[in-house]
Amino acid sequence: MPALVAAIGIALIIISRQIDISIGSQFSMCAIIAGVTAASGLPLGVSIIAAIGAGAMMGALNGVLVAYLKLPSIVVTLATMVTWQEALRLWQQGRLLSLPDGIQWFGLSQPVGQTVVISIAFILLIGAALAMKHLSAGRFIYAIGTDAEAARLAGIDPKRTTFGVFVLMGALAGLAAVLNLVQSPQVQPNCGDGLELKTIAAAVVGGVAISGGRGTLFGVLLGMLLLANVNPALTHFHQPPYWEKAIQGLVILLAVLADGLRSRKNQL
Amino acid sequence: MKRKSFIVSLLILAALPLASCKKSEPKGNLTIALLPKSKGNQYFVTCEKGARAAAAELGAELLFDGPINSDPAKQNEIVENWITDGVDVIVAACENKDSISTALRKAQEAGIKVVTYDADAQPDARSFFVNQATAQGIGEQLIDTAAALTGGEGEFAIITGTLTAANLNEWIKFIKVRQAEKYPNMKLVDTKPCDDQKDKAQQEATNLLSAHPNLKAIIGVCSPSVPGAAEAIKQAGKAGAVKLVGLGLPSENSAYVKEGVTQAVILWNVEELGYLSVMAGAALAKGELAPGATEFTAGKLGKMKVEGDNVILGRPFVFTKENIDQFDF
Repeated sequence: MPALVAAIGIALIIISRQIDISIGSQFSMCAIIAGVTAASGLPLGVSIIAAIGAGAMMGALNGVLVAYLKLPSIVVTLATMVTWQEALRLWQQGRLLSLPDGIQWFGLSQPVGQTVVISIAFILLIGAALAMKHLSAGRFIYAIGTDAEAARLAGIDPKRTTFGVFVLMGALAGLAAVLNLVQSPQVQPNCGDGLELKTIAAAVVGGVAISGGRGTLFGVLLGMLLLANVNPALTHFHQPPYWEKAIQGLVILLAVLADGLRSRKNQL
Repeated sequence: MKRKSFIVSLLILAALPLASCKKSEPKGNLTIALLPKSKGNQYFVTCEKGARAAAAELGAELLFDGPINSDPAKQNEIVENWITDGVDVIVAACENKDSISTALRKAQEAGIKVVTYDADAQPDARSFFVNQATAQGIGEQLIDTAAALTGGEGEFAIITGTLTAANLNEWIKFIKVRQAEKYPNMKLVDTKPCDDQKDKAQQEATNLLSAHPNLKAIIGVCSPSVPGAAEAIKQAGKAGAVKLVGLGLPSENSAYVKEGVTQAVILWNVEELGYLSVMAGAALAKGELAPGATEFTAGKLGKMKVEGDNVILGRPFVFTKENIDQFDF
């Protein structure tokens, strides 16, 4: 579920024709910030706001560099990915951080807590899907992803929109980190490692065009579910784990191939 | 102007004996310098505790200094200072094998005996490495503990770090060999990687529990896998029904051990590692331990095995509900 929340953000990033590979590091950083504030005795609400706020700030940094300084997002987010990762390593020395009682499941019982986590993710998904379809901000994202110049001539500010998408991505990474944090009594500084791959793959498999401008959040949900089931399926069919990443890679390759074939057909 | 430079040179002259006075300590008492990877780390603070006990028994002076943040450059700096101070023995845990070896070789050239512990330097930069545990010792201790908990029968699964980690694969190899030899009624049903992530270990353990309803035990061979698997067992309501044994730090597992979710955590005895390392350093300086030796007497630990240039600490230590509160690393 936390990965789904992050995947919503990454889908918007890709639709706007950008990429953000720093989200795993943002996620880890937000998780540790939430963990440290909670461990210092502050109420859970403060930790949640701190995590989301920190995420939004890291997203804003990416956004300024990409939207206003016109730097390529892959390079910018590669740099911030490594920066946050190493900063965390220096700060936490890789140790597990124990959380105080009352953080796990928001202090509720396990079944209620699980329901809350799932509900938040789905409400967010439905809300974002509706916004992408019916709100002007959502249409702006599609517009700048299809053709930034045409969007600008139509009166949309591509810089502001791009910046906004990165900030939203950061905030969603922060929220995802919180939803992950409440599922166990300890938090690990590398908890976000690999998240970028997982979410970008889900978006691509779910039909989001890597070239921008096209894709739905419902598709992202399907992509996420498909990829998330590869590993449990292997365990249940008693197959060696070596296949997990190979099958996931193959699925992504097929998705990109299908997308490529479709857009070629459209051009002809 | 002249007057000023005269005062400066006077000051320098006055400072000279200060800089070298440490060298003139009586030669009868050994000065042993213990270098941790990071001096704030509870693991190394516990090593220091053992080292202090050894130094007290030997009547030696123990210096303990290291970087605050596992900084290899800072480690070199500290070794350089110890060379200037003229310590007798340096006992070092190396953050970066290559970077510190140059400094340690320089120490050897200056007549200082060098022993490494916890993490080795290059072989020519020290006389002995105090090896905390052998792959065989770890693998056998893990499977023996699991077998003792399950009565030596039933299905078990392993959660590892990555499928390519050489040290973990080596431990798993010894788990399999021992199981085939001693516990024929146990069956390894799956080995899953957790990518050194606690959360992934939790997912993997959840999958294992539902895919193998007869699972009797899980063995975690990397440290994040143990609390991860514990949380999965707890959330599945199978605490106690599925036994959990793993390699890790007591502090990261104590809550689950006390709840009865994790039955045993295995690690070498860190305090004894510090003790043995200082004993080995002192024995080396006194000539009681020389290259080619097959054993030496290390104080209260008795005779310890030496294999090649490795001093072996021996069987790992098992932390359980009964003793885990005594350890704070």
